[in-house]
Amino acid sequence: MEGLAPIETWAILAILAKAAGYIAALLAMGGVVFVALFRDVPADVIRLARRIAALAAVVGLLILAARFGIRAARLSGMGLEGAVDPLMLGLIWDSPLGAAAVWRAGGEALILTVLFARGFWLIPALIGAIMVAYSFTLVGHSLGEPRMLLGSLLAVHVVMVAFWVGALGPLHRAARTQSGAALLHRFGMLASIGIPVLIVAGGIFAWLMIGSFTGLFGTAYGWAMLGKIVVVAGLLALAAANKLKLVPALARGDAGAARRLRTSIRLECAAVVGIALLTATMTSVTVPPANL
Amino acid sequence: MKRLQVVLAVALTLGGVNGAFAHSDTETTTPANGATVAAVEEIELRFDDPMRVTQLILTGPDGEIELERETGLEPVTVMRAVPIIDLASGDFLVEWRGLSSDGHPMQGGFEFSVAD
Repeated sequence: MEGLAPIETWAILAILAKAAGYIAALLAMGGVVFVALFRDVPADVIRLARRIAALAAVVGLLILAARFGIRAARLSGMGLEGAVDPLMLGLIWDSPLGAAAVWRAGGEALILTVLFARGFWLIPALIGAIMVAYSFTLVGHSLGEPRMLLGSLLAVHVVMVAFWVGALGPLHRAARTQSGAALLHRFGMLASIGIPVLIVAGGIFAWLMIGSFTGLFGTAYGWAMLGKIVVVAGLLALAAANKLKLVPALARGDAGAARRLRTSIRLECAAVVGIALLTATMTSVTVPPANL
Repeated sequence: MKRLQVVLAVALTLGGVNGAFAHSDTETTTPANGATVAAVEEIELRFDDPMRVTQLILTGPDGEIELERETGLEPVTVMRAVPIIDLASGDFLVEWRGLSSDGHPMQGGFEFSVAD
């Protein structure tokens, strides 16, 4: 298959670390967005959102450090010994990953303030979320041309995905009781705007990378993209079922609605993990047809 | 992990993957991949975009052969290296790793033969 790089142990580790880094960044950003958007919600739900965001920020920082070591190991070809090689680490620091890491780490550090920030004082955490989104545009396939457009599309896509992913934990908590239906309904209203934006931004980005149906079906990048589209379609179906059937059922107090809704949200979480793995694979070992 | 590697390796082989030059379709090497040559003056890799070549290994029938690189770790579009000994007849493998300009770690390789 065209456009697929060799895959070895360190490349697999790199993909797993990148996927974990995506999820951590999305949870950190999304948690902040959730706290900022949904003020009038049960205290335990908002507390959970703050804790998830802060924990994700800490985990994200650790993963960032690990990714430097994994990349140094891959570049040096020396395995574990290469992971701490100052020369290799220096090269990576000078590469786009170095710049992205500065913004990512700075953003995730600022996001930690979400633990105790209220009202106006949420601004540093929100700035942190924007910095993390910006960090995604500094490395990888979005560095191609038209760079400004690719970067903007990716930033919008990432922020919208974060809004969704960051809300899953708090919504899962809220879905325990009938009173949580109001929050779930409000999220559904906002998601009906945010998710189309997410799809349009991601779709344009993908088209700029692929450019033709030949590229979609004839390259490793295209097949990975198709896999991602299939999982995203499943995720959208779950989300639609939640909004149209399960949330109204919870609001009515139907027996078993809370359990079914919480199961559905857990399935959404599993789909998000799958999408993160596919995206990490796509951005690590495949080349967009536009670059071939 | 080993099993996963084996599965991936088989899948890639069955799929006819040439991962060596996945990043660009215009990269060329001297000697060319699969070529049989009488002698090798130097090993050359050409990249579309500047690449920091972090590792370059030449392996022959008797093991690794030391290379004298023309350039260091700075980004280059042409990487040249000279074997410090004359290459005897046999099959040779060149493997490289590098950091592309967009930050991707890259790797690849090519084979050639020397025959009298």
